[in-house]
Amino acid sequence: MSAELLKALRDVVGREHVLHKPEDLLVYELDGTIDRSLPDAVVFPANTEEVQGVVRACNALDVPVTPRGAGTGLSGGAVPTRQGVVLATARMRRILDVDPIERTATVEPGVANIRLSEIAAEHGLFYAPDPSSQKACTIGGNVAENAGGPHCLALGVTTNHVIGMEVVTASGEVEWLGSHGPEPTGYDLRGLFIGSEGTLGIATKVVVRLVPVPETVVTLLAIFDDVESASETVSAVIGAGLVPAALEMMDTVTLQAAEAGLRCGYPPDAGAVLLIELDGIDEVVRGQVTQARAACNEHGATEIRTATEPAERELLWKGRKGAIGALGRIAPNYYLLDGVVPRSKLVETMGEVARIGEGYGFPVANVFHAGDGNLHPCLLFDEREEGATARVLEAGAEIMRICVDAGGALTGEHGVGFEKNRFMAWLYSEEDLENMRRVRGIFGNEGGFNPCKVLPEGTGCGEMAHQEGALAAAGPDAYV
Amino acid sequence: MTGWPLAEDAPDTADLAKCVHCGLCVNACPTYAITGLEVESPRGRIHLARAVAEDRIPLTEAVQGHWELCLQCRACEAVCPSGVPYGRIMERARAQLDAAPPSRGWERRLRRFALRNVIARRRVLAAMLAPVRWFARSPLRGLVRASGVLRLAGPLGRLEAQLGRPGRPFRPRDAAGAGDAALFTGCVMGELFGDVHRASVRVLERSGANVFAPRGQGCCGALSAHDGDLEQARRLARANIAAFEASGAETIVVNSAGCGAAMKEYGELLADDAEFAGRAEAVAAKVVDFSEYLAGRDLPPGRLPARVAYQDACHLAHAQGISAEPRALLEAVEGCELVETEGADMCCGAAGIYSLIQPGMSGELRARKAAQFRKHRPDVIVTANPGCQMQYEAAVREAGIEARVLHLAEALDEAGVVGSE
Repeated sequence: MSAELLKALRDVVGREHVLHKPEDLLVYELDGTIDRSLPDAVVFPANTEEVQGVVRACNALDVPVTPRGAGTGLSGGAVPTRQGVVLATARMRRILDVDPIERTATVEPGVANIRLSEIAAEHGLFYAPDPSSQKACTIGGNVAENAGGPHCLALGVTTNHVIGMEVVTASGEVEWLGSHGPEPTGYDLRGLFIGSEGTLGIATKVVVRLVPVPETVVTLLAIFDDVESASETVSAVIGAGLVPAALEMMDTVTLQAAEAGLRCGYPPDAGAVLLIELDGIDEVVRGQVTQARAACNEHGATEIRTATEPAERELLWKGRKGAIGALGRIAPNYYLLDGVVPRSKLVETMGEVARIGEGYGFPVANVFHAGDGNLHPCLLFDEREEGATARVLEAGAEIMRICVDAGGALTGEHGVGFEKNRFMAWLYSEEDLENMRRVRGIFGNEGGFNPCKVLPEGTGCGEMAHQEGALAAAGPDAYV
Repeated sequence: MTGWPLAEDAPDTADLAKCVHCGLCVNACPTYAITGLEVESPRGRIHLARAVAEDRIPLTEAVQGHWELCLQCRACEAVCPSGVPYGRIMERARAQLDAAPPSRGWERRLRRFALRNVIARRRVLAAMLAPVRWFARSPLRGLVRASGVLRLAGPLGRLEAQLGRPGRPFRPRDAAGAGDAALFTGCVMGELFGDVHRASVRVLERSGANVFAPRGQGCCGALSAHDGDLEQARRLARANIAAFEASGAETIVVNSAGCGAAMKEYGELLADDAEFAGRAEAVAAKVVDFSEYLAGRDLPPGRLPARVAYQDACHLAHAQGISAEPRALLEAVEGCELVETEGADMCCGAAGIYSLIQPGMSGELRARKAAQFRKHRPDVIVTANPGCQMQYEAAVREAGIEARVLHLAEALDEAGVVGSE
């Protein structure tokens, strides 16, 4: 790193808030997924002005900037693919305001998702989007990825819960997007920014909506012999007009890992389970529980467990929320995918996924938000085996291709990131992609702000070799 | 190829590979909560260990510093879905530091000398602590405090702030077969917390137990293991195993969370010891925490009219998974109102000898506890580990409130006395 850059960064945030020793940088080379790249420096601004100062200093010296929250992302969004500076929000974790009348909270981007619900609890409120990493992941990262979670089926994802925010754009301007009220006026730039994966700028203050804790919550665990019956039940539940708060499926590999790791009382010999959560006014919920149980029974549920007490429900959810990490119990590495297919194609797609995994020799564990067709197949592998990482990426690419071909999407909630930027050409023409680059340009990003994320960039994005292989495996033709 | 200087006690490659760097641990980590730095998080420390193991980086002073700032509270283990044995990794990573180029070498050597020759030797420890006990109860203490001279005394001043009013020592005294439930007496615990042991015995007896303190037992070895001195830890473990085998005890009741966690892991510690591996497993299987033991028995609830804030001891809640039992025992006590404070299960910064080695970080964590005490103003603060008790004494003074700090055994003992009045 140049002495000039180091000095510029230290001038903005102070000497102790810039990391540059090799061993300190090492731990910022990765997030929750496979891709790695070492930054030249990591900076920790304390407020909006310092964020602005860092962005401007980097722009002036033509150094790439990559924003980072807690580094729990699953598409390489916080990986500094072209080195440069990682801008971490870890020092920006103040709760600025909680307004129980307006039911809003204003927080800095480094606040952990779970903190929102903790501070809202005393007012009988909570923050709805609940990614499985909610104990660690930050609200800034949630905004970047438009994070979802099991409870987004009925209540919507991050964009439905962020009213407005202050951002520092890629060009280093401070702007307010959205409003303090419920509906934006004019173009919804707030909506554009949320889910832009940190390519348009960095949110520095976020106003979120808080919702009332429901009167009654019932969680059902329905056990099935196979994934097909469970999938049919999902369609039946939705077909009956129910919109559960959450509707999650886990297959047998996942159940075994979760039970081994978290001892949450799951039946490890079942073919699949559904977690169905219903909430609302007591009487209504009771009726819905009856309907949901009927749908399960009709489609071959071998057992249905009902949890109404918070501790029992928490135990059922503990297994689900820790399921992915628990895969570490049965394999040294996993490659977690995130794809979306129409609900009607669930069973067919699962079959294809299993076939691909078998072809490559990787066991597949499935956890997914069945209610909205959001699949999370996990390919289990050992990165220490020669060539395993390249092959697992190839298999992943094939699976993503299956999702797109089924009329689905490349991501439900993890983002495109670095991981899947090459696959954007399956969904969009070169003209579409160029238009997206122009949007990015309006925020002042000519490619140096969180480089190589979302849109394909060509060369210069770290280790592209394995991605090339993956792309070749899935077929490069544009899907327009 | 590996960069570990001490190959036989190096972190296991399979243990390191278990971490899938999902990051779910970072917010559970006290040092990450304070610093916000990935290098001061469990994921970061494991990543550094992997990098050393793969010879990507040398074992530099900076790396050593990041490992030494770890409290080894194991809060990360409790939230890790992949089951990464972080405590084991960190003990072995620290074992490498002696063989590594020196960083604060004299300090580490001095510490090791003290752990081996004072803490682990009852007579030496007793001789060293006798004047401390005298001072803690003498009128001189008030004068010293008022004079402010301790502020100049660095670590001594910090120690003084943590010191309660230690009672008479409690030393192992009973012959084999004198009871069914053996009380583990420990090292510092027996010398400075004799009152806690006596309270434990009374409470256990009130629950119908036949308690004894078999001779031959000594320091559990946890402090040495955490410091990376696995050789000494194994030596102490073997002595205890032999003592408890000879005692004929059915159960070994431990009232110090750190000791209990270490003793439950004797099997792991001695896994490669052909003579002791099986015996270690057998003794470890008999170890129960004081609250765990009582949870399965019929203890008359007693009475203690007070607002009580229970603070989890890390090695009880995180390493042994025991957090409901102590609360349930307190809740059963008539008049006892449990107050849940935020961060009750986060490390207080005592962490064995950590508060002496890392006073800055330890102080930050203590301040968090003090702020909670000031907010909730409990009458009594209850915990289950001697080090934590000392730290809470200091936190209470820092908060400027009038709370008493009790071990769970003391609280239950007092409830028994008040209840029978």
